[in-house]
Amino acid sequence: MSDTSKNTSGQAYSLTVLAPISSGRSSDLAAYLDDLGSGEASPLARVPSTHFARWAVLDAPVFEGGMQRRDSWSAPRLLFTSNFDGALAPYLEGLRTGLGAIADAVWGHCAGYPGHEGAAPFAAWMRAHQVTSSLFFAAYGEQTVEDVLRNLALRQWLMELAIDAQGMSDADLKAAFLERWPG
Amino acid sequence: MANVDGRATAITVLTPVWPGASLWLKLLFFAGRHLEFTLKKLEMLSFIHYARWTIVSRFPDGGRGERLHYTYLFFESNFNGTWEEYIDAFSEVVPWRMRAIWFTSFGFPGPLPVGPFKEYIRKNEYVANHYWSAYPAASTTEVISAGRVAAALEEFHGRAPAMEPAQFRAEYDRLLAGLQHDL
Repeated sequence: MSDTSKNTSGQAYSLTVLAPISSGRSSDLAAYLDDLGSGEASPLARVPSTHFARWAVLDAPVFEGGMQRRDSWSAPRLLFTSNFDGALAPYLEGLRTGLGAIADAVWGHCAGYPGHEGAAPFAAWMRAHQVTSSLFFAAYGEQTVEDVLRNLALRQWLMELAIDAQGMSDADLKAAFLERWPG
Repeated sequence: MANVDGRATAITVLTPVWPGASLWLKLLFFAGRHLEFTLKKLEMLSFIHYARWTIVSRFPDGGRGERLHYTYLFFESNFNGTWEEYIDAFSEVVPWRMRAIWFTSFGFPGPLPVGPFKEYIRKNEYVANHYWSAYPAASTTEVISAGRVAAALEEFHGRAPAMEPAQFRAEYDRLLAGLQHDL
């Protein structure tokens, strides 16, 4: 089975990127990420076809004690994961252009990051730090972000129509349905 | 720190795996990818949008990757509801699947009783520094319901213009009755 099919479910793709953070810069990076705007103010709102995404600074592997030997990385890691639509190549390009300078403000804390100006080096660096999923579950992997938003809006539209339509004549109901149709 | 966006919550867990147990995990995830029933049960946990497991034997570093004493198991989930509800439901609905996956990790106490299990997850999870959802107000169930509503509504809309008002009313009422669990 190819890496691509391990990363996908339906048309949905699971991207996991783990990159070493440059020496001494993990707390600055964490503070920068903590301060990014949420909701529509998030820079991730400008990355097309993203359903859910996160950044997390991983300072050290967890030590459970007992028989486990203590592990440590040579550098803390920055985790980026995304659940998005379609293939990786167009997504990485949308990530680069959608984030723009924010990409540099984030991954610029990581060793060897080439910057967002060049499409090929950016994509190559992301791929070099990608970890392949072993098992990916998507509850509605056939639906794109666009599908989800449109379906939710249609459902809302029908609920509102159903309330407004109470007491309408058959002819008025039909007219309201066709005139208000948002599609 | 931001594990929540609207109704969506993120979980990010990385656990060290006992030596030799990664082969078991590979087999388990191979089965998960090829035997439909293994993931079907997750659909019963109707609040998970997307989840993934990833075996990390080398942490990307721009070269051959950094090896630690152990292989690690990465898990992320995107779900609606609270952390507590999620862990409760996971340990009640799929305890054997959880055991089969995480018994390979150091310190895993088993999914039941749920108290020690929650402590274990808390100890091994990383809080996201930034988390984003494209539709933070929608639950998984609503997304799936909206897909059914939109499909039925579009089919009905295609036929509606040719209907007499009385027939439109009858079919509209039938449509609403058929979708009552999805609205």
